[in-house]
Amino acid sequence: MSKIFVYAEVVEEGVVEPSLELIGRARELADKHGFSVSAMLVGFGVRKLADELIYRGASEVHVVDNEVLSKYNLLLYTRAIVEVVKNEKPEIFLFPATTTGRELAPRVAARLGTGITADCTAIEIGDYVDPITGKKYEKLLYQIRPTFGGTIMAAIVTPNHRPQMATVRPGVYSVPPRDTSRSGRIKEWTIDFSEEDVGCLEVLEVKRERRKVDLRSAKIIVSGGRGARPEGFKLIRELAELLGGEVGASRAAVDAGWISYDHQVGLTGQTVKPDIYIAVGISGAIQHVVGMKDSKIIIAINKDPEAPIFRISDYGLVGDLFIIIPKLIERLKVAKS
Amino acid sequence: MVTVNSKQNSSSGRLNIVVLVKPVPDPKEPPKFKPDGTLDRLSMKLVMNPYDKYAVEAALQLREALGGIVIGVSMAPPHAIDALREALAMGVDEFILLSDPRLAGSDTLATSYALSMVVKKLWSKLGKVDLVLCGVESSDSNTAHIGPEVAEWLGLPSISYVDKILEVSGGYVKVKKLIEGGYMVIRVKMPAVLTIAGTSYTPRIPTLRDVITARRKQIITWNVDDVSIDTSKVGLLGSPTRVIKMWAAEIKRRGKIFTDTDIDRLIDNFLAELRKDGVKLK
Repeated sequence: MSKIFVYAEVVEEGVVEPSLELIGRARELADKHGFSVSAMLVGFGVRKLADELIYRGASEVHVVDNEVLSKYNLLLYTRAIVEVVKNEKPEIFLFPATTTGRELAPRVAARLGTGITADCTAIEIGDYVDPITGKKYEKLLYQIRPTFGGTIMAAIVTPNHRPQMATVRPGVYSVPPRDTSRSGRIKEWTIDFSEEDVGCLEVLEVKRERRKVDLRSAKIIVSGGRGARPEGFKLIRELAELLGGEVGASRAAVDAGWISYDHQVGLTGQTVKPDIYIAVGISGAIQHVVGMKDSKIIIAINKDPEAPIFRISDYGLVGDLFIIIPKLIERLKVAKS
Repeated sequence: MVTVNSKQNSSSGRLNIVVLVKPVPDPKEPPKFKPDGTLDRLSMKLVMNPYDKYAVEAALQLREALGGIVIGVSMAPPHAIDALREALAMGVDEFILLSDPRLAGSDTLATSYALSMVVKKLWSKLGKVDLVLCGVESSDSNTAHIGPEVAEWLGLPSISYVDKILEVSGGYVKVKKLIEGGYMVIRVKMPAVLTIAGTSYTPRIPTLRDVITARRKQIITWNVDDVSIDTSKVGLLGSPTRVIKMWAAEIKRRGKIFTDTDIDRLIDNFLAELRKDGVKLK
């Protein structure tokens, strides 16, 4: 049976949610179209996580467990994955579009000489007829993604090269339920890394903050960006409190030290879908937008009328946040009393 | 032709840096479509990919600190040349434009192959290339593929999402890389490919004089044959992926923008609109 591979990214001794989401989606596609689902685990001391992947929907787990892989190393991880792929010949290989997946997957693709689509928001299985040769292909991976800042959608296929590869945006599919009655095969691989230049790339330090604020269940989020400055965050907090919401932030505001990482929304922060998202002094860089674009209603406050955030907003207030927010707070307070 | 004296550059600690730059439709302008619904790329104003500006800035800062040369490289149609002058105005020493109709329709694997062939040619001309920098992704297609794929074609290590280059010494470069929830510090052997994520590098704004000087600098155009590209690996037919369908994304946003110098009136109008639409802030 043709195989769908899913990369099981491990962070701090656990498989990340975006990888579990992909196992869930792969399982759905596999059941409908007759594929099998295999997970790919790479690291040191990761063998123990294989059962979890089977409980989530994998029927097979390929494990490369080696001390040299104890810290994430792009070159060694690429080597391990490519070795397994060459032997197992999967039809499809999915990676989560995390910061790791987005650098590892294209490297693997290029080494295998195959195509890859980044940051898909949907994956389907379907047929394709090549308009040039007339050749018909069955059960290809439809790699569907937004492009041009989200204004255009594209469906992409990889007709002749294998595996068909894609990274998939976290949060578009849900984490599948855990079913401990499921069983599967675990295959451990021994890969010789002696030829590799292990010291070529070395991780010296990893700093990862644990999140204390969960923005994902918030109904209202008021977020600040580079334009907010520390004084702006005082206003943002006040507005959030008045509305009974949480405070969010862009990466720029977190990096500037105005607010802790717990509040960050976007690619390297949290993905949120509140009823109302108020973006204050946030220009709307794609790295932020991917984390909030599915909010029910988006309100933007920005002094630059050309800020890209206005293009994805329901309501846009063009002006100085330091004048707009105090007046807005005042009006809302009056309305309340 | 590249004017650099290779001997002078290969012996010292000076760095030969290649920056990959993509001309993109101005992200501030909405995309234009042809009557058949496809994108009208030719009528859209092109600018330098904003993320590549961070990479250019990082390269210029390295050159200023350690000496060396910064060469811009782009693969684009000839009309992109104005957007590339921006890089020269910022201070890039020379610029190579790889332009050839045979490259049209290349996907990321094909594009990265073509760009890697340009880097290889520069490498042999200069005697060495120490770093290849580019923006983490482009503002139009956002794939983030080109950096790691170029590295793969060149057989070099790569690091994506570099926030800051911390140190260059002893043939190694130490960088801070962004990850979910924090960062990694990674030491990597040069030559290496780094994709710059931004935040720490504020791109310099060229002065009028810089812009005028840049107009006098020549952008060297190479074609597929100049860099010995295997044409079976590029263009639409050389690309493993095919776009089978494109459609306008359904943006269900209301897009009601309020502009008024009288902020009280602006808020009035905004709140009235919310009431009309049945949206409750609380």
